[in-house]
Amino acid sequence: MGLSRVFVANRGEIALRIIRACHDLGIEAVLAVSEADRESRPAREADRALCIGPPQAMDSYLKVETIITAALGSHADAIHPGYGFLAEQPELVDACAEHDLIFIGPKADHIRTMGDKLLAREMVGTLGIPVIPGSEMVATGDEARKAAQKLGFPVLLKAAAGGGGKGIKTVNGADDLTDVFDEAAGEARAAFGDDRIFIERYIPNARHIEVQIMGDSQGAVVHFFERDCSLQRRYQKMLEEAPSPVMTEELREEICDAAVRIARHIGYENAGTVEFVFDQRERRFYFLEMNTRIQVEHPITEMITGVDLVKEQISVAAGNPLAMAQDDITMSGHAIECRINAESPRRAFHPSPGRIDRWEAPAGEGIRVDSHCYSGYVVSPYYDSLLAKLVSWGTDRSDAITKMRHALEHFIISGIDTTIPFHHYILHNREYLAGDINTRWIEDTLLREYGQ
Amino acid sequence: METLTQDDVFLILKLIEESKYDELHLEMGDLRLDVKKQGGRASVVDTQGIPEGSAGTPPPAVFPEDAPHTGVADDVETTEDDSGLIPIKASMLGTFYRAPKPGAPPFVEVGRDITVDDTVCIIEVMKLFNTVKAGVNGRVARICASDGEMVEYQQTLFLVEEAEGRDEEKRKSA
Repeated sequence: MGLSRVFVANRGEIALRIIRACHDLGIEAVLAVSEADRESRPAREADRALCIGPPQAMDSYLKVETIITAALGSHADAIHPGYGFLAEQPELVDACAEHDLIFIGPKADHIRTMGDKLLAREMVGTLGIPVIPGSEMVATGDEARKAAQKLGFPVLLKAAAGGGGKGIKTVNGADDLTDVFDEAAGEARAAFGDDRIFIERYIPNARHIEVQIMGDSQGAVVHFFERDCSLQRRYQKMLEEAPSPVMTEELREEICDAAVRIARHIGYENAGTVEFVFDQRERRFYFLEMNTRIQVEHPITEMITGVDLVKEQISVAAGNPLAMAQDDITMSGHAIECRINAESPRRAFHPSPGRIDRWEAPAGEGIRVDSHCYSGYVVSPYYDSLLAKLVSWGTDRSDAITKMRHALEHFIISGIDTTIPFHHYILHNREYLAGDINTRWIEDTLLREYGQ
Repeated sequence: METLTQDDVFLILKLIEESKYDELHLEMGDLRLDVKKQGGRASVVDTQGIPEGSAGTPPPAVFPEDAPHTGVADDVETTEDDSGLIPIKASMLGTFYRAPKPGAPPFVEVGRDITVDDTVCIIEVMKLFNTVKAGVNGRVARICASDGEMVEYQQTLFLVEEAEGRDEEKRKSA
């Protein structure tokens, strides 16, 4: 292992997760902190914390030049970007290369190809892997209408530069299309600086299934099975589980093989996730997009495979071959992750920043809590609302559910509102227990029953 | 296993304090000792050893209470002791330069009178040189960062003895 000091360009639970992985490997961790995070738990656990700017992410965590300067100034060998912020900015990867810093993640070209959803679709299509029926780029409302009529309504308008559930609009009929198109293009231009739009057929009763992969610099690629992230609200994941309750051995092999082929085709390095839409009626899957970073929900994969993905990321970035071959990776049991956010479920999931008066996290066999919070911690309004990832592992799905229910009941957070009550509600729902859900289920069914 | 006694550590601290070096990094087998000198006094900022039993899970780094950890706010806090002195702080993280170019005389020295618009230093961020203005009228009382050092956002760079009468003006304008 060639690394001795890693610069962590992130905050919150993932910063802490990376710092601890570094320490496990005997590597020092230097952390970038904004003014708001100077006293944070990751700042205390890091070997050194450097204040890089004011609380606003635009002037601190999102500044490539500052991150590079701080990493060089602290004599780090590598930068770990975590997820969000600069994790999928090819400019950071290029700047690392220019200054002889190792970027713990894929090559800039991988990020560029997969970040352009049109390019990614086209590339995956050439491999004979199904992509959702859709259009090329549509330049006008008129073109959009023609493409949509060919596909059949409802359709989704998607920004080519979008992803992660951002830049998507649903259109039910031709009448709304021109207006929605202009709106979507305008929003895409503002959000991504790229107003290219394409159209996809909307697949009703779909699940979101993704495959964790990892590649090394020698060209080896392995997968770590799938995660089911169908429980979403406004395209944002709320609860994830692994393995997917609807997978058969045959389907699993097919979907994992497709993910590995995509990664191998582009010579992908480091951790990545290939996302698929699974049509439950047709029992077919379609490529959705590939995320070129470690993801929030990686712990459930770690729980069922026993592999520390963040440590493996650091190791392959240092030039080591993957520590395991595909046959060495097996899965056992079932894991569930609930994202505990500082939001009020009873008030349309309004953000609920503020001081946490009391924080008592559950513990015990099969329970894992990834969090940077503690009693007295002030949840700042500047960043995302993720407080903790509560993960349960059981011998099977029902065991994992039982453990998760108990863990939620014994998770005490006072002073701010959290999504704990809503997760508890999900975990007692009959349809959820039966696995009878889809990506629209929370919004279309559960939230109505919940009284929203 | 090789190890260091407390006396050894004190000896190392004393040697560093008297030397011209600012930092010492020592690794002996599983033991790591990082010593850094700040403001002329050496202190242990990071000692880390691998525990006896549980290989692979080192204990958290030890930070003695009086040792600067982040290196932030250390200088800022001293402003309270230097009552009346006004800090000039770094507006960004970057490399601190006291002179416009290598070999040139520094922008300011201790004892120099400065006015609001005087350039006092440069902060470089990836070849981008940002001049820092005094923002205060007065006399430079102390220079808190050394040339070529990386400074953090809001780190105190200079302490200035404010010119007489300025306080009142400031109050009026505020």
